[in-house]
Amino acid sequence: MSKPKVAFFDFTSCEGCQLNKLNLENDLLSILELVDIVEFREAMDDKADEYDIAFIEGSISTPTCVERIHDIRRRTKILVALGACAVNGGINAMKNLYPADWVKEEVYGEDKYLFPSIPVQPVSALVKVDYEIRGCPMSTPEFLHVLKSLVLGRKPESFDYAVCVECKLKENECVLDKGMFCLGPISRAGCDAICPSNGQYCTGCRGLVSNINENGAVDMLKQHGFSEKEALNRMRLYCANDIEN
Amino acid sequence: MENTAIEKQDLYYPMMSEIVKVETLTNLEKRFEIALPDNQILGHLPGQFVEVSIFGYGEAPISICSSPTKMPNFDLTVRNAGKLTDKMHSMKEGSKIGIRGPYGNGFDVTKFEGKDILFVCGGIGLAPLKSLIDYTIAKRQKYGRIIILYGTKNPSEILFKEDIKMWQGSKEIEFHMTVDKPDEYWKGNTGVITTLIPPIDLDISNTIATVVGPPIMYKFVIMSLKGKRMPDENIYLSLERRMKCGVGKCGHCQINDTYVCQDGPVFHYPHAKQLEEAI
Amino acid sequence: MYYDSNTGLNKMKRYYFDQPTTDKFVEFLMTQAEVIAPQKKGDASYSYEVVTSGKDIVYDYPRTIQPLKKYFLPPRETLLSFDSKNNEFKKTDIALNNRIFFAIHSYEMQGIKRLDYSFTQGNPEFNYLQRRENSIFIGISFNPDKWHFTKSVGISIEEVERFSLYFEPVDNGFLVFEVDDTGKELISKFGNGLSLDASMDFEVREKEFKTKIKYHYNRLPQVFEHVYNSKVWSDIAQKCVGCGTCNLLCPTCYCFDVRDEVELEISKGKRERFWDGCMLNEFAEVAGGENFREKLSSRTRHRLHRKFKYITDHSGELHCVGCGRCTKYCPANISIVEIINNLIEEYSDHQKEQII
Repeated sequence: MSKPKVAFFDFTSCEGCQLNKLNLENDLLSILELVDIVEFREAMDDKADEYDIAFIEGSISTPTCVERIHDIRRRTKILVALGACAVNGGINAMKNLYPADWVKEEVYGEDKYLFPSIPVQPVSALVKVDYEIRGCPMSTPEFLHVLKSLVLGRKPESFDYAVCVECKLKENECVLDKGMFCLGPISRAGCDAICPSNGQYCTGCRGLVSNINENGAVDMLKQHGFSEKEALNRMRLYCANDIEN
Repeated sequence: MENTAIEKQDLYYPMMSEIVKVETLTNLEKRFEIALPDNQILGHLPGQFVEVSIFGYGEAPISICSSPTKMPNFDLTVRNAGKLTDKMHSMKEGSKIGIRGPYGNGFDVTKFEGKDILFVCGGIGLAPLKSLIDYTIAKRQKYGRIIILYGTKNPSEILFKEDIKMWQGSKEIEFHMTVDKPDEYWKGNTGVITTLIPPIDLDISNTIATVVGPPIMYKFVIMSLKGKRMPDENIYLSLERRMKCGVGKCGHCQINDTYVCQDGPVFHYPHAKQLEEAI
Repeated sequence: MYYDSNTGLNKMKRYYFDQPTTDKFVEFLMTQAEVIAPQKKGDASYSYEVVTSGKDIVYDYPRTIQPLKKYFLPPRETLLSFDSKNNEFKKTDIALNNRIFFAIHSYEMQGIKRLDYSFTQGNPEFNYLQRRENSIFIGISFNPDKWHFTKSVGISIEEVERFSLYFEPVDNGFLVFEVDDTGKELISKFGNGLSLDASMDFEVREKEFKTKIKYHYNRLPQVFEHVYNSKVWSDIAQKCVGCGTCNLLCPTCYCFDVRDEVELEISKGKRERFWDGCMLNEFAEVAGGENFREKLSSRTRHRLHRKFKYITDHSGELHCVGCGRCTKYCPANISIVEIINNLIEEYSDHQKEQII
């Protein structure tokens, strides 16, 4: 079997996920044994026309993005949305909550006409996404898991349960009990509860578990002393497109 | 049975077995003939299942579709529906796979002796029932009428076409089938499987009905059978759940207090009826 | 003087250990085996950990985050490692170390007893049973906080079943009761050369539980005969967010998931199992996509029936031990005792109606 051709593309994002991949240092050589990396702006310049696997980082926020993502979809067999921005719009999608003109004015001032901008959408809103790697930034172990799975030709594991599960597996002290805010009970796992394990709270960067009880979640946070407004605002940080009211 | 597999296994460790034959049945289903190591015989009952294991891809419960009378190998009909089954579909003759089992409750074939047997098979439900169909055909003199009702969504999903041809040509077997959504070439019955039940003339007190199909099907088939005044005790079902460990531990396959991998997948209807989550 | 007649503490030989003697005893235990005991975790939590210094042991802990089951059914465990290129696999070796579990509460021990039942029923599981070998348990009394309700499920604080020794705190030390022969042996080995104070007057006052189930525990399975279609389940589902904490921290829950993971050399890898729970979204979903317990109400109902009816019908014991973890750690403040009391109320109203 020849090595799959893998490409990475960045759209609207901080490119932190790509940098996170370069942090794989020890494993990079082994990864190159598994796949051929043909397009990766942060690391090299080569370009190839067809790919086996395209990893997409960033959200869709300009007309150019729309064109590019369709072009990439045509040229790749498997498309993987990588990181919160690509999977569900991420932090960028918060701008959708405000009037578009005001946002442009606020960001670009008088140059706003030079920067055409559309409401932020996840990659899946425009093209078929085969697999997702969630998180802000994506977790490197999960990236490796997906890469290995795709090389094996199997569907990667996806985790549609709460961060609480991973927190409890690690026997962490509950950060909500410490009086901190936390979205762990309703946010998707897969990060090995990295934030609560390191004294931080869960910001929900991997999106919400599907089929959640939204009212229950707001009530839960209220019981821990947070207002409904704060609860919803914090849920919107990474899930602006998913939280209604 | 001698040299049967089950006593020699540790709970979670598979027997490395070989795929000796692969046959494409439809776009979604393939039949695999499996040989256990050291000429072991699986020693299963019709209706039982095995856990198929492929390293790196996990495990999946698959019902055995061949009769125990076929030896030493056995057959699995596999729908491409997940990680493991997708990988299995790419495997060729000579490939190795792991097998654990056989597991669960099968059909009590001795209890059925002397009875007419009605098979109600919806879609892939024909695969688990085929082990019992083949068994009763192999021991034909022990059983009364063999009546097979088979329904699929459309003609492209029809399984075991060779066998069906044989069943249709046999005077010893009554076979009726229907498709829900016919294509332009389809000349047979159309409609859901329950439409096949009313026209059949049954000696109700001496008929055993075995029912396997998609979850939605059971309620309606049972209603039809009850419409023919079939007593509960004569009905057997096989139910699908997530039978992950196969040995009554992991919990995924529970229906109320019952582990499907232990007390099922074959249930006597009077028992299944007591389980609120069953049908 | 109060003792539950079942525990028989008052018939047992006992010693007085002051704190220095207790510390010495821990040092002695550490020469005999690996010692596991409650220790501080984080700001205000506790965890059973291997003891490296006796000073780390917290004797008056309310409960640990994870139950003791983590030592017999680890949260994450390799079932086998494989090499798919050669179609080979290796079983995991489970070491047969002697382990002493020290300062364990009665409900925790009873939790292990329930797990023993679940793992020996039907197909006995080697991995669990192997880890259970060579384990010695030393109990300790506890002060019930607002989450404990062990007495309501039939487990007294002084229940010594399966302990070898039992520690009851008294002024400046402990009364140590010899529960079984293993305990007696430990004491005699330890006491060699020391003059241990045997016997003395003692008094243990009954400790009050703040949280109680309204019915005697004998009646609970009967209540569960009648509440399958209760409104209580959907009421709870309004509050529950389905995080699974109650399952994962329950001392008698044992469901698990199994996943394969390969190394960067992708022919090699491991098959691992993880704690799982019936409260989680995908627990009852099959490959075809059908989810047989999609609603939170049906998941809570299933969880509670597993504790008070389904297994109980076979084992004859409640599979809730009253530790209070599911309630204390529930982020949505759902109380298992409140659920049960609501079910009881509905049940008794229903019974009254029937009489009228």
